[in-house]
Amino acid sequence: MLPSPNGLRVLAVDDVPLALAELCRLLRAAPEVGEVVAADDPISALRSIQGDRFDAVFLDISMPGLDGVELASLLAKLSEPPVIVFVTAHEEHAVTAYGIGAVDYLLKPVRAERLATALTKVVRMASAGGSPASPSPVRRPDAMAVLPVETAGRTRYVRRSDVRFVEANGDYVRLHTPDGVHLVRMPISRLEEYWSDSGFLRVHRGYLVALGAIRELRSDSAGGLLAHTDLGDVPVSRRHARELREQLLRAAQTGMFDGSERGA
Amino acid sequence: MLRPSQEPSAGPPSRREPSRPWRTRARHDPLHTLRTARAVVADLKDGLSGPGARRAARRLRRLLNVTGLGLADLSGTLVWSGRAADPDAVSALVDQVLHGETAKDRPPLVAVPVYAGDGLAGALVVAGQVRRSAVREAAAWVADAVERGRMEASVDRAEQAELRALRAEISPHFVYNALTVISSLMRSDPDQASELMLDFADYTRYSLAQRGDYTTLSDEFHAIETYLALQRAVLGDRLRVQVRVAPEVLGVAVPYLVLQPLVENAVRHGIEPRAGAGLIQVTGEAEGNDCVISVEDDGVGMDPEHARAILAGRGGSDSVGLANVDRRLRHVYGPWYGLVVETAVDAGTRVVVRVPRFQPGVMP
Repeated sequence: MLPSPNGLRVLAVDDVPLALAELCRLLRAAPEVGEVVAADDPISALRSIQGDRFDAVFLDISMPGLDGVELASLLAKLSEPPVIVFVTAHEEHAVTAYGIGAVDYLLKPVRAERLATALTKVVRMASAGGSPASPSPVRRPDAMAVLPVETAGRTRYVRRSDVRFVEANGDYVRLHTPDGVHLVRMPISRLEEYWSDSGFLRVHRGYLVALGAIRELRSDSAGGLLAHTDLGDVPVSRRHARELREQLLRAAQTGMFDGSERGA
Repeated sequence: MLRPSQEPSAGPPSRREPSRPWRTRARHDPLHTLRTARAVVADLKDGLSGPGARRAARRLRRLLNVTGLGLADLSGTLVWSGRAADPDAVSALVDQVLHGETAKDRPPLVAVPVYAGDGLAGALVVAGQVRRSAVREAAAWVADAVERGRMEASVDRAEQAELRALRAEISPHFVYNALTVISSLMRSDPDQASELMLDFADYTRYSLAQRGDYTTLSDEFHAIETYLALQRAVLGDRLRVQVRVAPEVLGVAVPYLVLQPLVENAVRHGIEPRAGAGLIQVTGEAEGNDCVISVEDDGVGMDPEHARAILAGRGGSDSVGLANVDRRLRHVYGPWYGLVVETAVDAGTRVVVRVPRFQPGVMP
């Protein structure tokens, strides 16, 4: 099932009126979302779904009559099931949520940054055909392991493994490496696509960082987060902080930082 | 040595006669007697139906120098050691003792009730030539062993419950300060109020979490950043913070909420009591096989003697947080892994936590 062309059509279900209003407000403010329909109980949610077609359903779990998990099981039986995201106050529901094929679960109260992450998953899932069983993005062949850069009329090559972080600069990116900063004509979003499978993460609108190059996470009085590398600090926006922490934790747990090649 | 086939595994003794008489060695060595008595206590730490009951029966049989000895729990289930006796007679006798709560003598069997705590716990059955007083004495010893096992188990449970209770501590002082600030911001800066309310939700969710006993350092650091975001709203420019953590320690497993009480302590004793601004620095890094976390403030500091008193739990009600963390760390990692407090009057305070990066049994 392809997402609707004018943005996602989303059904939001919660039996607490103010919680529903807040969820709808956050959804409407999100750029990925085209239309939001609110249902304040599971039965009217079922009615809306029968008469209409939705890309995604954001479901509260604790509801009287028919709870969110039961409702989701019913939805999963539809011929074109919508993508399900649970919204819940209880973390222990997470296991159940994933067990019945939800793409994400949000904890109440919902943060806008966290909702944005969930919507990214929804978009990916809706365009992949809605089945959470096949979410793995196609791994492209390793492209751009080396980038050509023009320096004073000469072409040199910069290895990806030498790049600590990338800074957006208009249509160009600045590659920060131990032997200097190199300018390459390419938008940062394109480079992110190429390098995201090779340990690079977008941590800010204007920055891409190599996870293995991060020596420290620093936060200061203003509450801003910085990823410190031996070539300088990279700002981390609030929206990307969670993803960065998760990826770093995963990398640490798989021993990525234990190697001796990190030096000092 | 006994041949294994001569030792019935458990339950009622078999009718099969052993192929040769028991070699019983009477020992009158007091050291041997004491050692046996101590071993019986250890064997019975899980009670008369525990895994050590059969070993205890064997030791007692040899000590009393009798041909057979059995221990029955309250349900009448029997473990037997020694020469087989008529199983029907034994179980009938055990039933009578358990129901009547009186000793029964039916040669060659003697059975006496075993009392532990304030109730019946089971019965001791002896086959062979033995003085009644010796049987009573053995039953009393078994009763003491069972009771001691129960007490140790309940101490363990109490300790576990206490450790959990220590973890769940939320400071009311902080909670109401934060709510007051949020409430005031609702009018002047609704966006910031809403942002802080989300932080407050994260803070309480983490502090009230009822998951396992351990979490990752990554989550601990995230939790103190949430806490510090709220404290910055409360204290404004007076609170300056630097948090630095190396990615290689993010996956280290630690007990829940060991960091937050240290940071809270730094704010309360380092920043709040003085007029000007103060700096709190929190770092986490790897040092060989250890992970070292330090929480430092440049506040008023204290007499090192007072710091020692606090860690010993004699610091008064507003500094239990530090002593609690110290106790929990020692409990999990052993006596060498308590808090280290470096401080002096007017010289700030630095609290250092050192934990092994990998500790068996400590997993998030």
